[in-house]
Amino acid sequence: MIALALDGLRRAIFAIGIVAIFVLFVGPIMILGVTSVRPASGAFYIWRGTNFTLNNFVEVLHQSQVVEAMWNSFVLSTLATILSLGITVGSGYMLSRFGGWIQRSWFATIYVFRTVPYISWVLPLYLVNTRLGIYDTYLGLLLPHIAVHVCFFSWLMKGFFDGVNPSMEYAALIDGCTRWGAFCRVALPAAMPGIAALAILCWLSTWNEFLFALILSGKRTPLITSTMAQFVTETGTEWNLMSATAVLAMLPALLVTIFGQKYVIRGLRM
Amino acid sequence: MLFLIAPAAIVLACFEIIPILIGMNASFRDWSLVNPQRTWVGLKQYVAVFTDPVFLKIVLPNTFLLMTASVGLSLAFGLALASLLNRPFFGRAVVRTIILLPLTIAPVITSTMIRWSFNDQFGVITNFLSFLGLADIGWLSDRWPSFALVIMTDIWIWTPWFTIILLAALQGLPPEPFEAARIDAATPWCIFRRITMPMLRPVIIVCVLIRAIDAFRTFDQVWILTGGGPARSTEVFSVYTYVLAFVDLDIGRGAAAAGVGAIIMLFVGGVLYKLVNRSVDVSR
Repeated sequence: MIALALDGLRRAIFAIGIVAIFVLFVGPIMILGVTSVRPASGAFYIWRGTNFTLNNFVEVLHQSQVVEAMWNSFVLSTLATILSLGITVGSGYMLSRFGGWIQRSWFATIYVFRTVPYISWVLPLYLVNTRLGIYDTYLGLLLPHIAVHVCFFSWLMKGFFDGVNPSMEYAALIDGCTRWGAFCRVALPAAMPGIAALAILCWLSTWNEFLFALILSGKRTPLITSTMAQFVTETGTEWNLMSATAVLAMLPALLVTIFGQKYVIRGLRM
Repeated sequence: MLFLIAPAAIVLACFEIIPILIGMNASFRDWSLVNPQRTWVGLKQYVAVFTDPVFLKIVLPNTFLLMTASVGLSLAFGLALASLLNRPFFGRAVVRTIILLPLTIAPVITSTMIRWSFNDQFGVITNFLSFLGLADIGWLSDRWPSFALVIMTDIWIWTPWFTIILLAALQGLPPEPFEAARIDAATPWCIFRRITMPMLRPVIIVCVLIRAIDAFRTFDQVWILTGGGPARSTEVFSVYTYVLAFVDLDIGRGAAAAGVGAIIMLFVGGVLYKLVNRSVDVSR
C-alpha cells in the first residue's frame, strides 16, 4: 500500500517536472508569439481581450529595412557556412592525420585564439575594415564571420576525422588512390554526418550572431539581429511590431529545431 | 600538409591575429575617433583601466559572478533535467525538441522577450508576480534584480546545452555498475553520487571548460536586457569595452580594456586547460 502510494507520488513529481519544462521553455516564446498577433491597442495586457490580427506581420514586411536585413542575414549565413566549413575541413584533417611541430603549433594557436574574447578583436577589426574600405559591405562581414569559426571548427573537424579509422585510407592508397583521392573518397564521406550537423549549427549561429553585426554592419548592409536591437532601444514602445519582427527572425530556428533536431543534437554532442 | 591549413591560417591571421596586434598598438595611444592625432602615451590607458573604480569594483566582479553562476547553475539544472529525461516515457521526443528551442533562438530575441515579459507595467511575468503579491521587485531598475535577470536569461539559454550533452553521456554509460548497485540495495542518491557522477566527470569537465570561456564574453543578453544599467551597475567585461570604444568613442582606452580581457582569458584558459588535462587523466 505504502509502496503504491510512493510510486504514485514519484509519478506525480515526474509529471510536474515535465509540465514545468514545458512552461519554462515554451512560456516566454508563447508570450512573444501572442504579442505578435495582437493589434497595437491589445499588445499591452496580452492576456485580456480576444482580438487577433496578422497586420503586424504585414506592416513589418512592408518595412524595407527588415526585409533587406533578413535577406542580408540569409546570404551572409549561407556563404559563411559554405566557406568556413570549406577551409576548416582541410585544417581539421591535417590536425587529425599529421604530426610534428607544425601540427602541434597550429593546435596551440587555435586553442589560444579560441579563448580570446570576441570584443577584443572585433574592436580593432572595425579599424581594419574601415581602413580597407570594406566596412559595411558583404565582404567586410563575411571574412570576420569565417575567422570566428576557424578555431572551434578546426578543433571539431579534428574530432570527426579522429573517429574515422585511418586504415581505410591506407587500403585506398594500396588500391591505387592518390592521397587526395583517399581524402575525398574515403575520409570525407565517413566524416560527412558530423560535418552536416556542424553546417546547420554554423548557419544558425551566423544568423543569430549579434556583436559582429552590431559593430561591423551599418545602414547599407543591415543584419537581422542588429535591426532587432535597434527596435528594442529606439522604438521600444511598439511591442506588437517588434514581436512580429522577432517571430520572423526566429523562424529559421523554429524550422531547424522541428525538422532538423536530429542533426542539431548530433552537432551539439561533439 | 601546409596547404591544408593555409586557407584557415590566412583567414585567422588577417582577421584575428593582425587585428589583435593593431588593437595592441591602439591601446598604447591616445586614439579617439574625433581626434586624428594618435599620440603614443605608453601604459597610460592600461593604468586608467586598472584604476577605474567601475572596472575594478563592478565590471570584474560582475563578469566572474555571471561566469560562475551561469556555468554552475546551468550545469546543475542540466544534470537534473538529463537524469529526468534518461528514461523512456510518453512524449519524450517532444520534450527533447522543446529543450532545443533556447539554443537555436538568437540571444537577442531571447533577451527581447525576457525584457518584454518583465516590463514593469505590461510584462506578463511582472503582472503574474504582483498577482502573487510580489509587486515591488525593480526588475530592470535595481541592480541585483537586473543582474539576476541577466543570469537567469543566461541559464535559460545554456541549460539545454548541458542537458543534451549529459543526456547523451548518460545513455552511453554501461548498465552493469548500475545493476550491481541496485542488487546491493543502494539508494538512488547513492547511485547518482557514487556511480553516475564519477563516470560523467570527464564530460562535465570539458563542458565547463568550453562554457566558462564563452561565458566570459557574454554580450548580447546584457546589452539588450539592461544595456549595462541601471547606472552601469550590471556592466560586464564586453559591455564595458564596447561602451568605451563605441559609445564614448575612446578607441585607445577601449583597446586597452580589450587587451586586459584577452590577457585575463589567456591566463584563465591556460589554467583550465591544465586542470582538464590532469583531471581527465586521473579519472581514466
